[in-house]
Amino acid sequence: MKTKLFSIFLVLGLVVTLSCTKYPPASDRLLEDLAVITQYDTKANFSSYKTYSIASTIKKITDKDTTDMSGATVTAVLNEIAANMNARGYTQVVPPAKADLGLTVVYFQNTYVYTYYYNWWGYYYPYYPYYPYYPVYYSSYTAGMAVIEMQDLKNYDQTNERLATRWTAFIRGLLTGTHTTSDITASIDQAFIQTPQIVTTVK
Amino acid sequence: MKKLIIIVIMAVTLPCILQAQEKASLGYTPHSYYTFSWNTAFPLGDFHNWVSQPSPAGFDIGGRYLLMKGVTVGFNISWQRVSKIYDAQTYTIPDKGIAITAENYRFTWMVPFQVVIGYHFIPDKLVSPYVSLGIGGDYMEHHLLIQEYDIYEDRWDFSLTPEVGALVKFGNYSNWGALVAFNYKWTTNQIEFYNNNTKDLQMLNLRIGFTYIVR
Repeated sequence: MKTKLFSIFLVLGLVVTLSCTKYPPASDRLLEDLAVITQYDTKANFSSYKTYSIASTIKKITDKDTTDMSGATVTAVLNEIAANMNARGYTQVVPPAKADLGLTVVYFQNTYVYTYYYNWWGYYYPYYPYYPYYPVYYSSYTAGMAVIEMQDLKNYDQTNERLATRWTAFIRGLLTGTHTTSDITASIDQAFIQTPQIVTTVK
Repeated sequence: MKKLIIIVIMAVTLPCILQAQEKASLGYTPHSYYTFSWNTAFPLGDFHNWVSQPSPAGFDIGGRYLLMKGVTVGFNISWQRVSKIYDAQTYTIPDKGIAITAENYRFTWMVPFQVVIGYHFIPDKLVSPYVSLGIGGDYMEHHLLIQEYDIYEDRWDFSLTPEVGALVKFGNYSNWGALVAFNYKWTTNQIEFYNNNTKDLQMLNLRIGFTYIVR
């Protein structure tokens, strides 16, 4: 009887203990959480840039196709980026006027992407900041992700036809239907907040 | 006068005789005992910075063997987990220019194993308080979960655990009893995640459980 009592107590203890370890699975967390990941070029001097331009559209890239996004959310996203750049002292210019920095936004959805946070920095194949592309460092991912990229147009390497990326922001967990426009704009603000290096001293 | 002397002698000696009989008849000194207890851990110091809330998710199995005059030697093997969800915290990797802001779930689970020496002040009594010192090590895994990523590191350490507690027999001759103990644990374990660098992890533990006593 006592042995049984001890065994029951042991099993109950294990059950209670293991029940305390529950945590939502990764799929649920992806639906609920937004993660803001940024990386800036530690060698860049952001105060050397004065102007920027921003792409007028946002490309949505899925497994099947690439489309242009439009609507209030797109406008809110682009306006929020511009507001943050202005607040850091940069001046927005509109093509064909030349800008020092070019900003683009791309949404990815319904694919599996592996993001490499380390050792992925480098130069891209030439592209104009209004032209979306598949970066080579992501192969796949599940939930939606917005990628904001800041290209150095001022120091365009014409010989090798290369543009340097000075800053990238990933907002992961989007496009799941659970986030509002204000969640997205708040994440954009956070991307700038956690990169105080982006500032120019000359307006 | 003679009667008075007899009464005084009886008054002095009778309680001693009764006490001697009581000592001879009540309780026993264990040969050894085994414990199973639930643990609640209270992280301290740097460990508290990592996970700032107590956790009842733990248990402990131990054995003690009485050598002489209440001195014991034995072992403890445990399992413990502490965890907490943090909202929108920012981690930075300055030399790479990286910053990550996200809800994150932190937890550490550990398997302590120690040799324990102790001393029971009154091992034969119904309530037997003791002090002990555990010396050993831990295997710990520290996890940081952000979205679908599980970033973790595992470490072995050296640990010391002074403890005070008491065995409470369920009866003077019962082989079963309760255990209540409180200890402070110091380890050489550490956590190095981004800007969360901690060392010498410490915690308090409250143990409540059962004991099986061997005569």
